[in-house]
Amino acid sequence: MLMISPRMAAGMQEKQYTPSLLNFFIYNPKFGPREGEEEKKILFYHPSEVEKNEKIRNVGLCEAIVQFTRTFCPSKPAKSLHTQKNRQFFFEPEDNFWIVMVVRNPMVEKPNKEGKPPTIEYQEEEILDTVYGAVLQQCYSMYKLFNGTFGRAMEAGGVELLTQKLEKFFYRYLQTLHLHSCDLLDVFAGISFFPLDKMTYLKIQSFVNRVEESLRLIKYTAFLYNDQLIWSGLEQEDMRILYKYLTTSLFPRHSEPELAGRDSPLRPEVAGNLLHYGRFLTGPSNLKDPEAKFRFPRIFVNTGDSYEELHLIVYKAMSAAVCFMISASVELSREFCEQLDSLVGPQLTLLASDICEQYNINRRISGPEKEPQFKFIYFNHMNLAEKSTIHMRKTASVSLTSVHPDLMKILGDINCDFARVDEDEEIIVKAMTDYWVVGKKSDQRELYVILNQKNANLIEVNEEVKRLCATQFNNIFFLD
Amino acid sequence: MEGKLYAWIIERCLPLKPDTVMEADVHNNSVPLENGSLAPVDRLRRDRSDSPTPGLVEGTEPGAGLDSAMFVHAQSFEDLTADGEQEEEEVQVQEGGDGSERGLEVEKPRAEGEEREETQGQQEEEVQPGGGRVKEEDINSEGWRSHRKHVFVLSGKNIIRSIHAEGYKVVFLRKSPLVLVGVSRTRQSERELTRELLYIYYQIISLLTLTQLTHVFQLKQNYDLRRLLAGSEHLTDNLLRLLDRDPGLLLSAVTCLPLPSSTRDTISSSLQAAKAKSLVFSILLAGSRLVTLVRKKDQVLHHMDLHLLFNLVGSSSSFREGEGWTPICLPKFNTAGFFHAHISYLEPASELCLILVSTDREDFFNLSDCKRRFLERLRRRSAYQALQEALQAPSYPVAQVGIPELRHFVYKSKSSGLYTSPEIPIPYQCEEEQERLMRLYQYLHSRMHHPTRPLRSIYRCADKENLLALVTSGFELYLCFSPLGTKALAVSTINKLLKWIRKEEDRLFILNPQTY
Repeated sequence: MLMISPRMAAGMQEKQYTPSLLNFFIYNPKFGPREGEEEKKILFYHPSEVEKNEKIRNVGLCEAIVQFTRTFCPSKPAKSLHTQKNRQFFFEPEDNFWIVMVVRNPMVEKPNKEGKPPTIEYQEEEILDTVYGAVLQQCYSMYKLFNGTFGRAMEAGGVELLTQKLEKFFYRYLQTLHLHSCDLLDVFAGISFFPLDKMTYLKIQSFVNRVEESLRLIKYTAFLYNDQLIWSGLEQEDMRILYKYLTTSLFPRHSEPELAGRDSPLRPEVAGNLLHYGRFLTGPSNLKDPEAKFRFPRIFVNTGDSYEELHLIVYKAMSAAVCFMISASVELSREFCEQLDSLVGPQLTLLASDICEQYNINRRISGPEKEPQFKFIYFNHMNLAEKSTIHMRKTASVSLTSVHPDLMKILGDINCDFARVDEDEEIIVKAMTDYWVVGKKSDQRELYVILNQKNANLIEVNEEVKRLCATQFNNIFFLD
Repeated sequence: MEGKLYAWIIERCLPLKPDTVMEADVHNNSVPLENGSLAPVDRLRRDRSDSPTPGLVEGTEPGAGLDSAMFVHAQSFEDLTADGEQEEEEVQVQEGGDGSERGLEVEKPRAEGEEREETQGQQEEEVQPGGGRVKEEDINSEGWRSHRKHVFVLSGKNIIRSIHAEGYKVVFLRKSPLVLVGVSRTRQSERELTRELLYIYYQIISLLTLTQLTHVFQLKQNYDLRRLLAGSEHLTDNLLRLLDRDPGLLLSAVTCLPLPSSTRDTISSSLQAAKAKSLVFSILLAGSRLVTLVRKKDQVLHHMDLHLLFNLVGSSSSFREGEGWTPICLPKFNTAGFFHAHISYLEPASELCLILVSTDREDFFNLSDCKRRFLERLRRRSAYQALQEALQAPSYPVAQVGIPELRHFVYKSKSSGLYTSPEIPIPYQCEEEQERLMRLYQYLHSRMHHPTRPLRSIYRCADKENLLALVTSGFELYLCFSPLGTKALAVSTINKLLKWIRKEEDRLFILNPQTY
């Protein structure tokens, strides 16, 4: 992404470039061990136009770096390489399979006089390893969710099948990586939970039980409202990546037809069915269509042990979305889908309006929201719960933040500091812009607060954060 | 103390102009001192409040010199950012210029001839650790791997900065014709490690001069540098030890022996009187603390060069056996030439070491006479007795400051380049804990001085201690409290401590640096 700095007068403009993806490749050093066969090691390479010898050279460099660092610790080779122009991130998700992501450092292009080429300055301190390391791991998790492991693909169809799968998946996926807007939330890769009273929660649970009882094919269910999770039968790690897919990819592609105009093409289903608002977000868009195909995306869960391949059915009514997961060995028919639609549609519609009503009541009780003096990010490592008042909204994969990028990086720095020692800690810093940033780590929880009280002192900042903890987090942080 | 390893790999060297002039004259050091020293002294005296607050003007902070600064002192990361890419310029010795500015002639380094045949084949691009130690270790051994730090020095054209893995980092510093590589298991930041490599680089330059180093590689690209550095391992070992322990190297500052200002002034004037034509710097040390420093007018010493001198003295016991006479390059002063240092202890068992830095390599007896005259004068004026007494208390317990829960602090006056710090308190006295405390200060320093996201202050509260760091235009302050210290206490400590340092500054700092 290119931004023109307003500081320079027209004609002598300084250009600022944000971090961008230079290369992304996957290799296995065992696949071409002999000289002259190096190309066989490469399973995927982006951009594909890159000349063969350069691909081989770049892979060779990674192999050398990894080998070099094994000298110092055989079991923990390099995770990243910093150079003047870029950062390379290494990840070995399965034995001998390496994924490498090369990110160009942000840079400033300064024009020179009289036709001289512009000077390029690389900003070497801007990229946080933790953030981009997490982005790389997420790339693999997302691949694995839809394709299973590299190893299984090799077993099923050898290198040929694997390279096909990688090509098909990453060609599209890499286009959705927005490296300039990655931040601390990518490190956490958490799940936002919907706050709910006990009664409503029980209603949802009994709804899930009823549906699973009636449709015995269903293996797992997950329930979301307003893009926030309420209930999930999946393992945490699987839910984490599925949640990421739902909230950053699937949901944004299906904005609510209830909100669209009556004649909008987004409302095909509602028109023909006045009983409920339920519709499939995956699979057939119209059950009545005689041509409709009853094919759903496949996902892979519990890849570490039972290794299950499942159909992913996502069904939505108003703001409530339910994921039903059914073993891939079962062929899904029109009859099953109609049965599901007629059973779940009306109930979910009712439930969604119940939740909405309850939510509004709760909001009224807690009083009108006024713009607070602070913004925060909270994350709980135990249940992956995440909450941010810094990020305004998430679209396809861009998250917009309401604070200056430098402050976001300070949050990232503090997060790295917490990783230094495994003990409870509190860090309060005052930035050059006079913003205060507070980080607290207590047990498995982390809280980051940005305060815009420039004249406050350390004691006042502390009081402010104490108040925040008392109101928002029931005093779970004890450090003074 | 864990061992450190070194290896040198030579791949290519920087081409040097064939007729680079070896006659090295001193860099023009009459740089305007941008700190308080340009302001009228009156104003500085008037502004020296007894109750200084963090907002005070640079040059009026406690510990700021009254006249001119003794050192050229870098902003903390100046060294890393400023001369990284400017090697070529540095190699070219200043020639011509304004002749009248030439106060000094530094001896030409004698080029190392190819007096020995290359016996050892050296493979390019391959790291060859080992060497540098009396006993070479096998790099595949567990023992070798388990060292906490590895340091390699290689040369080559590469833009790699660092490699990061879980639990360790590999950091590269390009200083043509060398590339220095550090491998560390400590949790120091990339910048901290680069700074350490820079010290090691300058340590090498101080032994060889850059001119000679460049020349050697010009003659033979795959020269095994170990041959030239053989016997200097103790210097690098000691330097690495100092980097682990001494806050001065972190802060780019030096600390002084606490001394009544009248005594210090007497010592300074005695040194000042014992001058010689070739003399550039006279430095009196008590252990690793500065007693006084007298310099030739217009010649300013860089803290880095002073630390290298400290390291030279601290790494060797041979200077205790008599008067030492050794060539040394002070790289921040001039990378091209050697000075000659007369190094001797005032008494065989004393901590007091006198370093007389001269430009003339034939001047040993002259300088020996300077020392004699200095001692005579010192004894006559009874300052010697006062100095001996001060040596009994080379530091002070933090309790003197009278702030509860305050365990330790480091205060640096930016304009004088001097710092003060109390004794290491009980919980940090063992080697490991002392280094842990230093690591904490390094961590704070690294965050405060981040090149693109610097901070005004940082407070860190954890199980073992609470820390506060503060950087203003005039000073840097790092505080360590017990875990019982509250934030309110930390806030109130700043002003109390500044007031105390102001009260004691005559004793803790050198406020009146002298010149010949």
